[in-house]
Amino acid sequence: MRQIITKRLSMLVLVLLGVTLITFFLSHVIPGDPARMMVGQRASEETLQEVRRQLGLDQPVWVQYFTYMQGLLAGDFGNSIRTQQPVVDDLIKFFPATLELALTAFIIAIVIGIPIGILSAVKKDTGWDHAGRFFSIAGISTPVFWSGLIGILVFYKFFDLLPSSGRMDLTVTPPPTITGLYLFDSLVTGNWAAFGNSLWHLALPACTLAFAQLAIVTRQVRASMLEVLGQEYIRTALANGIHGPVLLFRYALRNALIPTITVVGLSFGSLLGGAVVTETIFSWPGMGKYVVESIAFLDFPAIMGFTFVISFGYVIINLLVDLTYYALDPQIKE
Amino acid sequence: MKRRWSSLFTSSLLVLSLMVSACSSAPANQSQGENKPAENKPAEAAKPASSTTPADTLFVGITADQGTLDPAVTFDNGAWKITYPTYQRLVEYDGGTTEVKPGLAKEWKVSEDGLTWTFTLAEGNKFSDGTPVTAEAVKFTFDRTLKIKKGPADVYSVIKEVKVDSPTSVTFVLSKNFPPFLSTLAANYGGIVNPKVMEKEQSGDLGQNFLANNTMGSGPYQLTEWRKGEYIKLTLNPNSTVKPALQNIFFKIIPDATAQRLQLEQGEIDIAEGVPNEQLKALKELPTVDVLQKPSLFVDYIYVNSTKGNPALQNPKVRQALSYAIDYDALTESVQEGYATQMRGPIPKGLWGYDESAPQYKRDVEKAKALLAEAGASNLTIDLLYSDNKAWWETEALALQAFFSDIGVKLNLKKIAYATSRELIDKGEFDLAMGVWSPDFGDPYMFMNYWFDSVNFGLAGNRAFYKNDKVDELVRKAASINDKAEREKLYKEAQLITIDEAPYLYLYQKDFLLPVSKSVKGFVYNPMLEGIYNLAEMSK
Repeated sequence: MRQIITKRLSMLVLVLLGVTLITFFLSHVIPGDPARMMVGQRASEETLQEVRRQLGLDQPVWVQYFTYMQGLLAGDFGNSIRTQQPVVDDLIKFFPATLELALTAFIIAIVIGIPIGILSAVKKDTGWDHAGRFFSIAGISTPVFWSGLIGILVFYKFFDLLPSSGRMDLTVTPPPTITGLYLFDSLVTGNWAAFGNSLWHLALPACTLAFAQLAIVTRQVRASMLEVLGQEYIRTALANGIHGPVLLFRYALRNALIPTITVVGLSFGSLLGGAVVTETIFSWPGMGKYVVESIAFLDFPAIMGFTFVISFGYVIINLLVDLTYYALDPQIKE
Repeated sequence: MKRRWSSLFTSSLLVLSLMVSACSSAPANQSQGENKPAENKPAEAAKPASSTTPADTLFVGITADQGTLDPAVTFDNGAWKITYPTYQRLVEYDGGTTEVKPGLAKEWKVSEDGLTWTFTLAEGNKFSDGTPVTAEAVKFTFDRTLKIKKGPADVYSVIKEVKVDSPTSVTFVLSKNFPPFLSTLAANYGGIVNPKVMEKEQSGDLGQNFLANNTMGSGPYQLTEWRKGEYIKLTLNPNSTVKPALQNIFFKIIPDATAQRLQLEQGEIDIAEGVPNEQLKALKELPTVDVLQKPSLFVDYIYVNSTKGNPALQNPKVRQALSYAIDYDALTESVQEGYATQMRGPIPKGLWGYDESAPQYKRDVEKAKALLAEAGASNLTIDLLYSDNKAWWETEALALQAFFSDIGVKLNLKKIAYATSRELIDKGEFDLAMGVWSPDFGDPYMFMNYWFDSVNFGLAGNRAFYKNDKVDELVRKAASINDKAEREKLYKEAQLITIDEAPYLYLYQKDFLLPVSKSVKGFVYNPMLEGIYNLAEMSK
């Protein structure tokens, strides 16, 4: 176990190094001048050069990269060109919102997706199976901007049940920041008003995002279950008089979950990165919006910071996926 | 066994439907009993009842969050929305006009040669922390802007010195006569900053970091809360002499147009800035919403690279041919739903200097073809550069492509990232490029000198890289004298030349359109302050 972790952690350093290198050089070969974006179109050439110097943009790219990495090692992501704030501060502000949205959507997708997957597998080729598959395929093939708007129309406009934007009402004070996840923070501090309010705001965007992810979970669970159910040990178990939930959950599902975890784990990574559209529709103040605005502004430090956090997240998720493998089936070694 | 299976399905189905119901109406989860203390409180207390926002609070839906709010740095209309009501200027734009009226200064005089401007401050104005606004503060503000040397400093580069004569009198010494000077003081970057900002200085930034996220002015409002990505909240400046009706202003960030429209319909916001033209007709029908429509000074035009692009474009006849190829009415109809007016020349209608008798291009395919033949430009292929910065540019590009193909000119559409397009425009690496322009202060200088003076090549304003010695002479002279009638004459002469030589394709000036709840009263649209609200005079 420890071996796996050490090995993976050293891999993590390599991966992140590669990611920063590629992103940095890619974003610097795009023509466009962030200094110009910053000083405005009518600033004098002299001012422009001065700002370039301040930002270090007058240095060769590899020097800039080196300086950037030096800062990064000290935990400094540099200052955003657009907001002129330290990128770390911006990320700390926006990342928890995205994480909270993605996590909730992830949980909803799993909690709904696994039962549907099992149902589809066990009732293969019946009406149940078709209905389950139809539901999940509908999710993945409906664009988020569409299902999101339909959700808003139905639950906000027609029934006036759920809010259409933001993480919380303007009149509600957010809980003190511990993790930045409103649900968690308000729960820990016992702030029930804030908890209810943020949950209420989270419902629509999280369900929209979960709906889009559902198919990944159900299809994987269904396929693995079918495979597992066809295996000899299941037949043996059946012959030994083991059936029903015991067979299904203790014997079959446990094995079916192993490949599911990989797929689902990775899908969480894409949830994090792919919440952009959902965040736009629901005015969710997360990283997605932040990075889109940053890209339009050629805000290198912000783009780098975002990429770094997302790739870090991916690598960590991968590690967790592997560790779960190991926990589920100790026979799997590295 | 069959029965067992089915009982499992039924139970998992039950779980499933529970999950779905829990997720589709989250407050209902309180009824599951686990969160007893909460009960219905958050849902009911916090939920804004349909179409009743408090009468002393204004909710404005905006489309994006803001960058820096420092008046000495920002050049962004979006940020000015926040800074304009939170700072005061020496002079202010008067109601809906481009003329100025007294602001912090109750009176002023200018020397005969136009080089010294002396302002007498009105008494009683205070910054939001109670510090009185003095001549020192005025001097501090302009010195600071010039030291910071970002965008706005360029506008004030004409200031040689700011002198404090007494606590209520301040004199600006200019290095040359600059007739639009008074008008520039009414623009956002003329906002007077509390000198106490220096207490917030970090590593020599003159308080830039602090003012990026805070306001320190003497306007009727101050910024009190900014939840990034969510909203910006203004409340009253307790020390202001003005007592506005609106106590709180929320600028709510709602990027999605449809979401914004729905919130306006539901009465959750009072003003929706981000609703595209094609949805306005539906909003107009609502009993609760008015759609304001006024001509703006915001123009949409095409830079024709007259010296650095395709050599054929260096011939004025080719540029005229392109101008004659466009069906202006069809263009405004398809691109702006008709909410726009064709330009007559560089200066838009509504700004002094506009020439109603100037010739205007109309679609004339035969004439355009003849001009091309005269210029010997057959089988012409040119590129059009644009970005996704404006949503309508794509449609506009396709329309232009069709118009030009009618006169035998092939137009290649080159759509690239916004930041990249700016770089290429700055360097002159394009044939045609799309652009928009709106003036910062109410003077034709904003159009004529920026667009045509050959010292302004590139992003600075002369994006057509147009050079004509006569025009240079005319606009420079117009910018050096104070006699308004004489200036107007010079600008009109320069306009006639630049319309004829067509370094730009003068497309249209947009209408200012704003869906506003009928409950909002007192909003005055000023074309110089597009997107900025006279909050202190508004009510609900």
